[in-house]
Amino acid sequence: MSRRLFRERMNEAWLEIRENLGRASLQSLGIMLGVASVLGGFSITDSFKKRSEQLYVKMGGLDKLNVQTSPVATEGSPTAMRAANLGLRQQDREDSAELKPGEVQGVSMVRSVRARVRSAQADQERQVLGIGGDHLAMEGYSVAQGRSLSTQDVESAAPVALLGSSAATDFFPNGDALGSILRIGNTPVQIVGVLEERYFVFSKENPRNQFWRRNRIIAVPSSLVQRRLQGDVHSRLDRITYRIPRIDAMPDFISELKSILKPNHRMEEDFRLDDVQSRIRKRNNNGEAYNLIFVLSGVLALLGGGLVNVNIQLASLKERVKEIGVRMALGAPGNEIFKSFMTEALLLTSLGGLVGLGAGVIFSWAITTILGVPLAMAFSSFMWAYLLAVVFGFAFALYPAWRASKLSPMEALHYE
Amino acid sequence: MNPVIQTRQITKTFGSNGTAVHALRGIDLDVAKGEFLALIGPSGSGKSTLMAILGCLDRPTSGTYALDGEEVQSLSGRELAAIRNRKIGFVFQSYNLLPKASVARNVELPLLYAGVARKERRERALELLDQVGIPEKAAKLPGELSGGQKQRVSIARALAASPALLLADEPTGALDSKTGAEILELFGHLNQQGNTVVLVTHDLGIAAQAQRRVVLSDGLVASKEE
Repeated sequence: MSRRLFRERMNEAWLEIRENLGRASLQSLGIMLGVASVLGGFSITDSFKKRSEQLYVKMGGLDKLNVQTSPVATEGSPTAMRAANLGLRQQDREDSAELKPGEVQGVSMVRSVRARVRSAQADQERQVLGIGGDHLAMEGYSVAQGRSLSTQDVESAAPVALLGSSAATDFFPNGDALGSILRIGNTPVQIVGVLEERYFVFSKENPRNQFWRRNRIIAVPSSLVQRRLQGDVHSRLDRITYRIPRIDAMPDFISELKSILKPNHRMEEDFRLDDVQSRIRKRNNNGEAYNLIFVLSGVLALLGGGLVNVNIQLASLKERVKEIGVRMALGAPGNEIFKSFMTEALLLTSLGGLVGLGAGVIFSWAITTILGVPLAMAFSSFMWAYLLAVVFGFAFALYPAWRASKLSPMEALHYE
Repeated sequence: MNPVIQTRQITKTFGSNGTAVHALRGIDLDVAKGEFLALIGPSGSGKSTLMAILGCLDRPTSGTYALDGEEVQSLSGRELAAIRNRKIGFVFQSYNLLPKASVARNVELPLLYAGVARKERRERALELLDQVGIPEKAAKLPGELSGGQKQRVSIARALAASPALLLADEPTGALDSKTGAEILELFGHLNQQGNTVVLVTHDLGIAAQAQRRVVLSDGLVASKEE
């Protein structure tokens, strides 16, 4: 019986809404705007998040731990002991080779040097990157022409080099980079490969190629920098990077790595560990703050809309007192009147909410198009926006419905 | 057999103490099943107040009221709603039809609140519209009907739940005399079929159509005419 009455209430509510379309749309306007604003806000942060993730994937992933040299003393002059420290070395890499082999999916080393770089067509002061391990793969490079650096090259400090796409055009504008000779300082190296051009524009607001610097790379074996270019007997490194895909494995790895590295550094922490993923995560928390702001503005819209709704409901209640009286005389109890008012409000809220979701999609699409970021919308955003609207619609319908249900049948019937 | 209406010393007081208005001051009224009674009285006589109490729209301040054998003077609002639904059929001067609902739906309304299934409701509504002589108007809106037709719809609606009592408040008050006479004739006809009718009016000519007249004056029964 109650299900039957529910269907009847839905029918009547629908009739009432259809007959008073103007009033109904005014009533649901607040709900629509609230839903649209919440959904739009969520979608915009979602879109930016998604875009960032795309960038990180292209950068070679975030699941990395960087070990870098750091200054031994932050103020004053370092003690002799500290000054005598050698910083990060090839030895550190080798000592940590046995550490959690199951978790470490790749290791790369970097030793860079500024040097005069010359070809037949160009002569520039440039950063030259000595690389080792899985550096190219871990940073998302791929070879366009020729070959990559081999383990053999790194072990033997072979005089070979790879050029990024813009570095190749800088030094060999005629496009004959592959196989040519480049002089780094006084060392001639042969170009064995040219890297694929990399391109990523975040948004129209930020139209620069995020990878412009990476296209300028001049990469040689790290051993070449250490032995030939710098003559460094200690084989010092600027950075060692470990790829550790399982986030949970990171803290253990970090503490064990520290206990291996410290004895190598006379118990001084002249190195710095940087968990890239957790750093980026922290930065992304800003997105959550924006979400909160969007939810708040949505809630304000819903609040305003809800109050307008209450007013309209109370005004329209006056027009309907007589009808309520008639229904009561025919046997409708107060709670039936209450339920029919609530049904009407909820139907209106649901419909308004749907329209609001549509408006929110259009709104998000427009904003992201203007900003030049691909639109990303999460299902949960739709759910939250809708849920919020329904909760507000319900809450603000309670008072007018209660007022209606408390009318005395006698007075309602004789209301003019 | 129980009388349809049995009131004992019903009073109704509005307001309190200094400004109290005693609308009813002790009404004893009995209406047997199958009777056609006219309740007469000038305005201010307490007629409307009595009608509201008899219709279970309001409760007496004191006294007892048994409707169809059931004491109703102290029932809750919800219980009174159920009593109105099952036992009373109202006919109003201004029809009080729902303007946005079809004629058939208007007639169905009491059955809806009684929880009768849609199909049964519709069948019953069509049957009743046939009984009051306007079977062809089922799908129309009340606004498309004449006054007499509207009153026929409201009579059909009053009959929908097969109530113990038909309570009509000035049912011809808004109609011309010819249509009014037709409606009164319909009431007479319904009474012959066994319906108990209480007709509230200030018009003695209309009251003359009833079997029995009770005159109300100043909150008391002034005269009973058997």
